[in-house]
Amino acid sequence: MKVFPRGGVVAVEDISFDVRQGEFISLVGPSGCGKSTILRLVAGLIGKSSGSLHVHGSEVLGPRQDLAMMFQRPILLPWKTAIENVTLPVRIKGRVDEVTLKEARGLLGFLGLEQFHHAYPQHLSGGMQQRVALARLLITGNELLLMDEPFAALDEFTRERLTLELLRIQSRINATVMFVTHSIIEAVFLADRVLVMTPLPGRLAGIVEVPLERPRTIDLMRTPEFNDLVFKVRGMLGEHA
Amino acid sequence: MRSEGVASEAGSPRDVEPADPVGAITKRVTAAIPSFIVAVIVIGGWEAAARAELVNRLIVPAPTKIFSAFVELFSSGLVWEHLRATVFATTAGFALGSGAAFIIGVLCSFWRPFRKVVEPYMITLQVTPRVALAPLFVTWLGFGLSPKIVMAATICFFPVFVNTLTGLLTTDEEALEMLRSMGATKRQTFTQFTLPSALPIIFAGLKTAMTLALIGALVAEFVGTSQGLGLLIDRFTFRLAMEESFAVLLTLALLGLFLYGLMEWLDRRVVYWTHEERLSRREMRSRLRSGRERR
Repeated sequence: MKVFPRGGVVAVEDISFDVRQGEFISLVGPSGCGKSTILRLVAGLIGKSSGSLHVHGSEVLGPRQDLAMMFQRPILLPWKTAIENVTLPVRIKGRVDEVTLKEARGLLGFLGLEQFHHAYPQHLSGGMQQRVALARLLITGNELLLMDEPFAALDEFTRERLTLELLRIQSRINATVMFVTHSIIEAVFLADRVLVMTPLPGRLAGIVEVPLERPRTIDLMRTPEFNDLVFKVRGMLGEHA
Repeated sequence: MRSEGVASEAGSPRDVEPADPVGAITKRVTAAIPSFIVAVIVIGGWEAAARAELVNRLIVPAPTKIFSAFVELFSSGLVWEHLRATVFATTAGFALGSGAAFIIGVLCSFWRPFRKVVEPYMITLQVTPRVALAPLFVTWLGFGLSPKIVMAATICFFPVFVNTLTGLLTTDEEALEMLRSMGATKRQTFTQFTLPSALPIIFAGLKTAMTLALIGALVAEFVGTSQGLGLLIDRFTFRLAMEESFAVLLTLALLGLFLYGLMEWLDRRVVYWTHEERLSRREMRSRLRSGRERR
């Protein structure tokens, strides 16, 4: 996949990078640096004023079906149960059959929600709601996942747990992930490469390779290699950090 | 990872399952006691005042007298044709007015130029006291049902229109973006998301509209009709038959309560996700159903 968005004056400009299949990319930077804009450009939700952008070898011209997106808020439909929310993307494309339901049950179980298939979102905690959203993302079967600060609104403990689960899922299905965050530590911990962005206008300050081995555990954060990378990213952000 | 204390996270469905039904009924009865006591004091005081002739019987009759007039009204069968006429005018007017309001509201939400054209007329119609239209409707449409239906429809149009439009236009932008990223068509976005999101506020409008429809029908009946509770009350007061007038008033209050209760009942079933007890019940039911299916 190659992504070369060159935005207008307002959002982002002079940004050029490509993402390999199965790679985990973090986009980190302060608010207003255009990291969410880039995700929306890749998803085809907004148009670019100039430049070129390709996903899976084809130019991005509108909303795409070969990728799936997750947001900071879970955005679950309050009139649907957890399992109905998970199967929403399938229902939009066609019919929800027994195979889909089985898959949805499997995903909810995998994310520790086997007791909550029929719970309505109002009866789930913030962390559980975001797990349902994660299952809804995964049921699409797409291997390109765009995640816009998906854990930013969660408490520290839930956030850490979901971060580890995301890594486990990513390695299992060999997904390509573009993960937007404003946490440098989270960015480095998750990614193979970190795209560091600075605001006004949104620019790519640099790309940091993260050659740390996988599977990654929380202990990794204590290593000097990890901290060097964190400070390297921080340094690139300069006065914006 | 699987066994990490999920159950310890807040909001376990077990917390929200309704308590035993007998306990729930007891609770509701207990909650109703204060207003019941107030009713006893007010009605008792009123009765005493009327019997002691502290108030003129011709102005305010005693509650017991009103009650027997009420019983008489129904047992003689006099009330039925009038009740039927008013109920029909109210419900038909409600259906017509709120139906039209819903459709126009939906069109306005979809098509901005249409909204720009329609909105000023809607507002003008709203700020004009539509009660003043009643004599016109009767002049145009006669003493039958139609002026009442039209009056009821006109008066209940606005709350449904405004609430439909507001509900459909104030949807979550990020959710719309999510649906777009899933490749939802316009129609799917409307049926799967925009309309259900707007339903709670649309129902709030419908509840107001139902009570307004009754007012509309009555106003038209006061102006001139051959049948209806409005006519009945007019006739009784003209003859200074106050007990009967109050009996009709009581009938109207009960009718209003019934119609409002009907809307509440519908609201709890259609917009179940804003009513905790309905939500828990549905949750339990679907869990039972899937348990059976998988066995």
